[in-house]
Amino acid sequence: MPVTRKKTLAAVAALSASALILTGCSAGGGGSDDNVLRIAMGSPGEAQIRVWDDVAAQFEAANPDLTVEMNYQDDDLYQTIGLPNLLNGRNAPDIYFEWAGARLEQRAADGFAADLSDAVTSGPIAGLFDDEVFGSLTVDGEIVMVPHAADVANVLWYNEDIFADAGLTPPTTWDELLATCDALDAEGIIPIASGNKDLWAAGNWLAHLTSRVVGEEAYSAALSGEADFDTPEWVEAFGYVEELADHNCVNESANAVDDNEGAQLFFQGKAAMHAIGSWLVSWAIDEAPDLNFDYVNLPTMPGEGNQESVIGVVTGYVVNAKSNKQDLAAEFLALLNNEENVQAFIGAELTPMALSASSGEEIDSRSAGLINMLESAPAIVLPPDTGYDLETANALYAALAEVLGGQTSPADAVAGIDQKLG
Amino acid sequence: MKANRTATPYLFLVPAMAVFGFAVLFPVIMTFAYSFTEWNGYGTMVFVGIDNYIKAANDVLFRDSFVHVLIYIAITIVLEVVVGLVLAGLVSVHRRGSLWFRVAIFTPVMLPMVVVAVLWAFVYNNDFGLLNAALQSLGLDSLQRVWLGDPATALLAVSVVSGWVYAGFYMTIFYAAFNQVPTEVIEAARLDGANEWQLFRRIKVPMIRNAITVALLLCITGGFQGFDLFYVMTNGGPYGATEIPTTYLVKSVFTFQNVGYGSAMAVVLTAVVVALGLVFTRVNREKPEDVRS
Repeated sequence: MPVTRKKTLAAVAALSASALILTGCSAGGGGSDDNVLRIAMGSPGEAQIRVWDDVAAQFEAANPDLTVEMNYQDDDLYQTIGLPNLLNGRNAPDIYFEWAGARLEQRAADGFAADLSDAVTSGPIAGLFDDEVFGSLTVDGEIVMVPHAADVANVLWYNEDIFADAGLTPPTTWDELLATCDALDAEGIIPIASGNKDLWAAGNWLAHLTSRVVGEEAYSAALSGEADFDTPEWVEAFGYVEELADHNCVNESANAVDDNEGAQLFFQGKAAMHAIGSWLVSWAIDEAPDLNFDYVNLPTMPGEGNQESVIGVVTGYVVNAKSNKQDLAAEFLALLNNEENVQAFIGAELTPMALSASSGEEIDSRSAGLINMLESAPAIVLPPDTGYDLETANALYAALAEVLGGQTSPADAVAGIDQKLG
Repeated sequence: MKANRTATPYLFLVPAMAVFGFAVLFPVIMTFAYSFTEWNGYGTMVFVGIDNYIKAANDVLFRDSFVHVLIYIAITIVLEVVVGLVLAGLVSVHRRGSLWFRVAIFTPVMLPMVVVAVLWAFVYNNDFGLLNAALQSLGLDSLQRVWLGDPATALLAVSVVSGWVYAGFYMTIFYAAFNQVPTEVIEAARLDGANEWQLFRRIKVPMIRNAITVALLLCITGGFQGFDLFYVMTNGGPYGATEIPTTYLVKSVFTFQNVGYGSAMAVVLTAVVVALGLVFTRVNREKPEDVRS
């Protein structure tokens, strides 16, 4: 074969390697006509998977001609590549997990969120939830998501035994936090474990910190693209992140390990604190049953924001508007949230938002406390990656990681965000 | 009858061409078309002309990703091709018992890259990893690093893993090539007093030049196709120090759902790879005098 033809083919083959990835986005997206109800989500952990599988079996028993197919993906994969690929695939999910906020609005805008208003007000889901919870799940007057859980996206978990041994109390102010870091660091204990390789883990925590400094309005305006990050208030907020680095508050490996590895430092007693969300409860009970741990909200910061604010997000399930099994999907979601299954989820250390969660099986005191904290919060801050545009969130996270890792100054970091976002 | 004979070869080509058209041509054309649009993968597609290419030209992260991949390729040429060549030279000299050695070195090639990446991420882990523990036990505490968290070491750390995997692959190629060197040439050189090093450097390596050229081309193009190790071990971090075009492109398309921009980057990446391939092929084209020698 002549050399030129070889080159041409090589060129075409090389381009196709990239192209095959990209064209994966363009296929189908419609619902299947088969008798399979497809449900997709990030992996909720073994205990909850058992409940999900049991609910699926119940639904199959009630609908003998139907099969329920569960698709549990790695969380990060699901949030980024997984769900968009599934939605555009030939066998798109009929029901899928989603976060309330910008992501949900985007799904609705793209035609992947069915109107569940009738199912919620007069259909199978009616009466299962407090009406107020649907406020943040309504897009253009249509209820497009059935809530499942309200996650506090970040608190400061602490190891009670390490704190007792060191004679420390959980920090409630910024100065106390820094003093706690110094005391733990001096004893050779990692003060706060973080696994921030994928940027969101410390990103959520530090974003909450910055919101307390710049104020919720300025935080939301910057993340919504309505205001610049490069302001004295944001530089000041990033200055506190720099202080965390200066006081060795976070493990040296923070930006090199993922959230799982970060959590292991806490589970194994190598770190005294861990900044992560409410899902740690079931995780820790599973992986470190002997760990004595509790939480405090982010310490109060010197700043404009509400110092009692909570960073949190409602999560739930959306019925695919392109599914031809929307009625069945609504029935499944009703079954999922009946009293028996809600109690089963509580047994698996997840507290659903359904009304029946308040009766029956005892909820873990920490989970109950977090729910109460979220419900009584005077201000709720949305996590950047689920509440706002992901590219903006990523730019903020990357800048926070750079300051936390001592790679850049607060002023350069905030200027860099605006530069990156153009 | 004659017409049928003329058509027969083309009929045999139809299945292959159909697969080629579906799996290669169609994606290529679609990617090129997408690169002129703003599109999130399923919403409305908006034609934006060459805006995505202008954006790519001004994107510092995209430019840096090429610098990173070139450094990665330079390191892997040494760790994969050069080390593979040396290993092949050693096993071709000491043939007795070399089978186990060859199998051991080739084994990493058979492991899925994701498995390799996870394994080595544990090796490099600052808090639980083998490498830092080994350094500590040897009294070399000062050499301990957050290997994947330090921008100064992360790219090298990933490259070493690539070297660990593929040195065996290139060793196998070179070993096969060394076996093709005529024994009479080797014997003649020995009669002239050449030692093993001289044989290797003056006789064997020059005589497998074509195999080395192919290996270099594979290493360079493979470097540009690198993705899995980077995605699993560092995800482009820390602070973008290991961001390469493929990871950046995938983030753009799947994480940020900028299919149009990602497509433009894919086209640029392909153009660069093809251009480099052409230059490399031209530079290494066999000259008549080389053939004579």
